[in-house]
Amino acid sequence: MATELTTTNLKTDEMIINMGPQHPATHGVLRLILKLDGEIVRHVEPVIGHLHRAQEWQGQNRTLFQYQALIDRVDYLSGMFTSLAFAHACEQIDGCEVPPRAQYLRALVCEMNRISSHLLWLGTFLIDLGALFGFPFYPFREREKLLDLFEEIAGQRMMFNYIRIGGVIRDPKPTWFEKVRKFTQEFPDRIDEYEAIVTQNPIVLKRTKDVGILDKQVAFDYGVSGPSLRGSGVNYDLRKVRPYGIYPDLNFDVPLGQNKGDTWDRYMCRILEMRQSNELIKQCLDKMPEGEILGKKQIAGLRIKAGEGFSAIESPRGVLGCYVISNGSDKAYRIKWRNPSFCNLAVLPSLLIGRPISDIMAIFGSIDVILPDVDR
Amino acid sequence: MTEKPAEKTEVKLEIGRFGKFLQDNGIKSKRQSDSNNVETIVIDAKDLEPAMRLLKTSSETTLNFLLCVSGVDYADKIDSVYHLWSYEHNDALVIKVELPKNNMTNTQTPCMSSISNFWPAANWHERETYDLVGIRYLKHPYLRRILNPWDWEGHPLRRDYKQLIDALNDKNPHSFR
Repeated sequence: MATELTTTNLKTDEMIINMGPQHPATHGVLRLILKLDGEIVRHVEPVIGHLHRAQEWQGQNRTLFQYQALIDRVDYLSGMFTSLAFAHACEQIDGCEVPPRAQYLRALVCEMNRISSHLLWLGTFLIDLGALFGFPFYPFREREKLLDLFEEIAGQRMMFNYIRIGGVIRDPKPTWFEKVRKFTQEFPDRIDEYEAIVTQNPIVLKRTKDVGILDKQVAFDYGVSGPSLRGSGVNYDLRKVRPYGIYPDLNFDVPLGQNKGDTWDRYMCRILEMRQSNELIKQCLDKMPEGEILGKKQIAGLRIKAGEGFSAIESPRGVLGCYVISNGSDKAYRIKWRNPSFCNLAVLPSLLIGRPISDIMAIFGSIDVILPDVDR
Repeated sequence: MTEKPAEKTEVKLEIGRFGKFLQDNGIKSKRQSDSNNVETIVIDAKDLEPAMRLLKTSSETTLNFLLCVSGVDYADKIDSVYHLWSYEHNDALVIKVELPKNNMTNTQTPCMSSISNFWPAANWHERETYDLVGIRYLKHPYLRRILNPWDWEGHPLRRDYKQLIDALNDKNPHSFR
């Protein structure tokens, strides 16, 4: 007897698919084990660790001076921030003074680095959404200028080793400040350019509006931080909440998501944050004091006092923490990194379940995870 | 590799705000010297779960931001360290749970209870601490290695850790190359 075939009594099996680790849109090597029901994601298990470089192990087996050069690799898109977190933790333990000029230079280079990190995110996010028409190279044009500026002060384009315990290593020439000022003058126009292409683009709106809504309570439970959290409307920026360095002296707003915390909100937060960073750079340039730049001698046998220090700063991806235990020798006893990407990635399964497979990359791109930062 | 951090002089410290709060709810804690003006307390492993539940949900404390769970291997004990912040206010607390080692070898793991049943943020951090330092969190939903491969032996951040197979060293007879 022929049974009637309708869509209602068709039995479909769940399918298990591996996404990655060599998937081009996973920003490195993330493996997602997906359980699919047709196109709908039913279960996700992220598998990480493919880029594990034992940064913490190296921290306790290298001298502090050697390790300072390695920490930019923890998160290679925002090397200044990882250096800053480590320097803050060591300065807490040691109690050494950081000269005001170094404080301002730190804030200046960090905000520049925030812009360059967000620019790379903007390009790759658009690729994730399928915009392969060449837009990604617009943000890279400005990022290139920033990397040139970094090269001039640090000698390297991405692994800076510029912020050291007690200050910064090199004092830029006056011409460098002029170049930075020129960049800040033309940069807002460039953001307008990106926004003209992307922000109200119907395809982008369709792919991002109401996609991957991050509930406040879920974000709190998973310890999400950074623009991904602020996209959900939570005003939590360490530069305001627990100010460090010279941020109390600077004026800026914290952009928040205006909607319900979907992918588009997180996109908008980062765009507005770049504008704020540009303002911060201008203020740093205006207020830049003269004087010393290094409060501690940079020698191969660099030592700090014994003790414990925990520092946390607002990196482009969220709260970047560094927990250092020192026993007074030239090596740290224990270094622990609290990486924002690691914590933000843990929330991914709860955002993906119930969504079609085509949303995976839009959601994953919008929480701005960088895999070396996850795996360290 | 095995040097100890400098011994701290034992001074009787006054009970702090959060220590007082826990004491009022029947949980004993011992204050340690502050680092960077953040209250640091040591509590028993069995008290950790009720203490965390209280600190997270009580309206007096609302320490609802778990920054990280880290394991620290000392000569005679292994510490599980919890850094707690809040999304609402500016207070902070560091909780340490001390687990004695009793001549434990590198492959043996001390046990304590997990908090990831009610605090999802702890899930991956506890897996990481299990992987690198080797603290077994009981009742964890999925306690597997997270950064190292699943078949890795030993816990790399123990002070007595020795790499069994040096995959990159050609002179090693077990080398893969």
